[in-house]
Parts: sequence; structure tokens; C-alpha cells
Amino acid sequence: MTDETGSTTSAAVSIVSARKDYGRAAVGRPEAVSDVSIRVERATIHGLLGPNGAGKTTTLKMLLGLVRPSGGTFTLLGRDAHAPGARSNVGFLAEQPYFPMQLTASEVLRLYGRLARVPRDELAAQIPSLLERVGLEGRESTTLARFSRGMLQRLGLAQALLGEPELIILDEPASGLDPVGQRDVRNLMLELKASGTTVLLSSHQLSEVEAVCDEVTILDRGRVAARGDIDDLLNVAGQTSVRARGSGGLPESVRAIATDLAVDGDVMIFSIPDQAIRRVIDDLDDSGFKLVSVQPKRDSLEEYFARLLENPAPGGEVQS
Amino acid sequence: MTDVLLALVTAVTADAVRRKVVWVVVLFAGLLSFVAPSLPSYGVGVASAVYREVAIALMFVTALVVTVALAATRIPSEIERRTVFNVLARDVRRWHYLVATWSGLVVVVGVALLAFTVVAMVVGGVVYRELMWRLFQAAFAVWLEMGVIAAVTVGLSSAFGPVTNTVGALTFVFIGHSISGLLAPPSEHSAPRWVPSLEAFNVIAPVAHGSGYGVGYALSMLGLFIALSGLALVGASALLERRDL
Repeated sequence: MTDETGSTTSAAVSIVSARKDYGRAAVGRPEAVSDVSIRVERATIHGLLGPNGAGKTTTLKMLLGLVRPSGGTFTLLGRDAHAPGARSNVGFLAEQPYFPMQLTASEVLRLYGRLARVPRDELAAQIPSLLERVGLEGRESTTLARFSRGMLQRLGLAQALLGEPELIILDEPASGLDPVGQRDVRNLMLELKASGTTVLLSSHQLSEVEAVCDEVTILDRGRVAARGDIDDLLNVAGQTSVRARGSGGLPESVRAIATDLAVDGDVMIFSIPDQAIRRVIDDLDDSGFKLVSVQPKRDSLEEYFARLLENPAPGGEVQS
Repeated sequence: MTDVLLALVTAVTADAVRRKVVWVVVLFAGLLSFVAPSLPSYGVGVASAVYREVAIALMFVTALVVTVALAATRIPSEIERRTVFNVLARDVRRWHYLVATWSGLVVVVGVALLAFTVVAMVVGGVVYRELMWRLFQAAFAVWLEMGVIAAVTVGLSSAFGPVTNTVGALTFVFIGHSISGLLAPPSEHSAPRWVPSLEAFNVIAPVAHGSGYGVGYALSMLGLFIALSGLALVGASALLERRDL
């Protein structure tokens, strides 16, 4: 059985032709999401990117039953996402999560653990270890009214991990965290993936997405603007990036074909066509340059993202 | 399902019962019950009966303030702050969330009423040398009425903000108590008995001036509480089910 994304339905997440039309209630454009299809393979980290108002959060809310879709089908771990029991093995961290503020950290985790149907004895064991995992050890009895924004974010991560779900959906998980916290979240996502957990990550932090995601879907104005393997999206076809150390200018034969030339001290960085690699290396050797690296040219996700949104393809979708 | 409901009720109760508003209102009402015996009775009857009447009135106002303050704000604030997302994104139905929120609030109002009733009984016992156990009957009736008001307010808060909910709740209380008179035929003092009225929970006369009410009347109040609360919660669930969060 295949869906519109050309795939079988055994994916961790499958969204096909999702649509949300707010009609007259809309503040901006009536259709917040138009024909969005996303497929997330199991045991991968999938990034959902897009500028503000692109439809990322609405899409996630439709998937989780928080917003009623105007159209489309939503599948979680092979089941209809809106059927009873379908979300029992799914953890979710909302953007800037908030909790009942008069409860303590362990009371909050006990609540969400029971909602996730984690047996009580397992829950008692999981709570301290999860708090330690997110850097909140020793805070079991602290009332949440005393928590900082970053501590609430960490607690949100802990509640998403309760019951060791097969799929975790994270909406801006690094929001409100300091650089060390952001690094911890990245490492946590990679650990989850290594243990076979699927992560669907919605984020504005492109460096975070680039560092951890296997695949991305980029939304713009409620439509899929691009999707695919992150390496395929970012590698610039037919171009190789060369870094070489040496004094003086590049040989004339190299300068004639080099593009995007940049100089960092005595290191020159430039791009050349793939078919000229052998000749360029020989010419650099002959001119006394020392090669530092030769690798496929790759955009940063930031560059790719900016270019994509500045020049959207007609019809709104570019696939790798 | 039971475990989910219990988990939510426990959390709502623990969170709400620690809110300052609950205990500030109870403390204020407790202080008023201390000064109530010093009020002039204006010769309206036995002094202890007047005290019981004042205590029941304070009980009602205390419970109403606590009920409306908690019920009118809780769901709108949980939706605005996205607290509700962490609950409903799990395998929890919206009606579970509503019923559990209502139940938790009813428990907290019950605790506040119990605390105030104990204070009022102690004051009555010290001043009038009389064990006013029938105040618990009044507390029970007020508690059931607050359950209905909480259900209506929670129902309103499935669709509206705190201000509308508060105005709606107070309007409901006013109409609920006066509907019997409003619908009464010109020749009668009150409407037919089948017209549901919050006056059914008004037990000032038998508790303050009489010998209390019987089990049959308690059961009829319980029945009205279940019917009105159930109706309000069914409507609330339908409203919340249709809402985009």
C-alpha cells in the first residue's frame, strides 16, 4: 500500500495531503496548510523547517488531534493518528511547554506517566532517571513556579520521554535553552535515534537541524517547498570545494575555472567543476600549493533555506 | 480510562488546592464568622439561628468566589499556555480532560467548604455552647450547587475567555435562583416543581431555623446535581470537541 509520498504506510509518521482551512476565522491567509505530505521513516530524525507562519505547528497539531484537519490522512506508527490508542506510544514536546505551576517536577511526571499508561512501579523508577537525563537531578520536589524557562523546557523533554515511546515529536526543543542545553538536546536526539526511536523535529535552529537530521521537509506558506535527504539537498551538484595552502596567487589555469574564491590567511577556498578535479590538483602541486581538503561542495542549511524561500519554485515544491 | 481520569483529577486537585485564592477567601470568610456573633440580631429571632443563617450565607459566598475564580480561568489559561497540549496530545479524550478538570475543582471547593464549616462550627460552639452539626447539611447543599455552577462555568470556558465565563456563571446563578419566581403562574408563588431551580439547594430555612432536612431531600438534591452537571458537561464536551486548540 502506497501513499502520495510514494511510500508504504509502515513509516513512523505518514501525512498525506493535509489541509487546514480556517475560513472566515483566519487572521492571515484562510488556508494555513495546503496539501502537505510528509513521511518519516522509523529510527530516523526528520526535520520540519519553515519560516514563521509556514504551517509547521498547525501540521503537527493536526497530526496530534489538537486541530481538526480540513482534509488529508494522518498515520502514526501504522495506525490512524486520530483513532483511540494511536498516540499511546508517542511522546510530544510542545513549543515553550507549560505545566500546572503548583505541582512539583515529580508530580508532573507522575501525571504524564499515568496518562501514557506507564505502570506505577516502572514510573517510580523512570522519574529520577529521566530528571537526571535532562539535567534536573535533585529537583524532584521543587514546585514548578520556581522553575526557569529553560528548566521547564527540560522538564518538557522528560515528559516526552516517559514510557520510552517509539516516536517523539519535538516542537522547538531548544527554545529557551542555553548553548550547553542546546548541545544536550542534540546529543539526546542522536541517542534516541541510536536506540531505534524516531524523532520528528520542528525547529527554527537550522544548525541544530543540519547537525542531527537525516531528512527534512521544508514548508513555506502552508505548502511543502522542499523535502529529502539532507545531504542530497545541501550538496551542490557538479561542484567540488577545494582548500589549499600556499603563498602567492592561484595558478592561472585554476583561477580561470575557480568560483566563490575566499582567502583565510594563507588558505584559499574555492569551488571547481567536478570534472576538473584531477587537473586542478596537479596544477596546485606544480605551483607549490599544499592541499588541505577536497570535498563535494555543500551549502549550509541556512544558505539553502534562504535561497529556497527567496526563489520559490512555481507550484511551491522542489524535491531533491 | 479510570486511571487517566484519576490521574487528571489528582493533578487538578493538587494544583488548585495550593492556589492562594482558595485559602485567602476561606481565611476572610473565617474571620467574618468570628465577628458575626457580635452583629446585632435586630430581634429577628434566636441569636444562634441568626448566626447559622449568616454562616450559611458566608459559606455560599466563599464557595461561589472559589468556584468561579477557579472554573472560569483554568481551561482558558491551560489552552493559552498550551498546558493542555501535553495532555491531549497523549491518548486522552477531550471529555476526559473536561470531566477531570470539573471533578478536581469540585473536590477543591469541597475542601474549602469543609475548612470553613469547621471554623464556623467551632465559633458557634464557643459562643453559643451549641454543636451546630447541621451546618454540614448546609455545606453539602452548597457544595452540590457549586458543582452545578462549576460544570456550567467549565462548559462556558470550553469556548470563551475568563471574563465571559465569570459573567456567564454569575448570570446563571442569578437566573437559577430566580427562575422559579419568574416562571410562576400569576396565581402561584413559584413555578411547577418540574422546573429545575437552584433554589432546591437553598436550605437556609431548615438548617438555620428548623431541624435540618431528611435523606429524601438530600437524594433529590443529589439527583438535580447529577442531572444539571451532566447536561452542562455534555454540552461542554461538544463545544471543546469542535474547537481547534
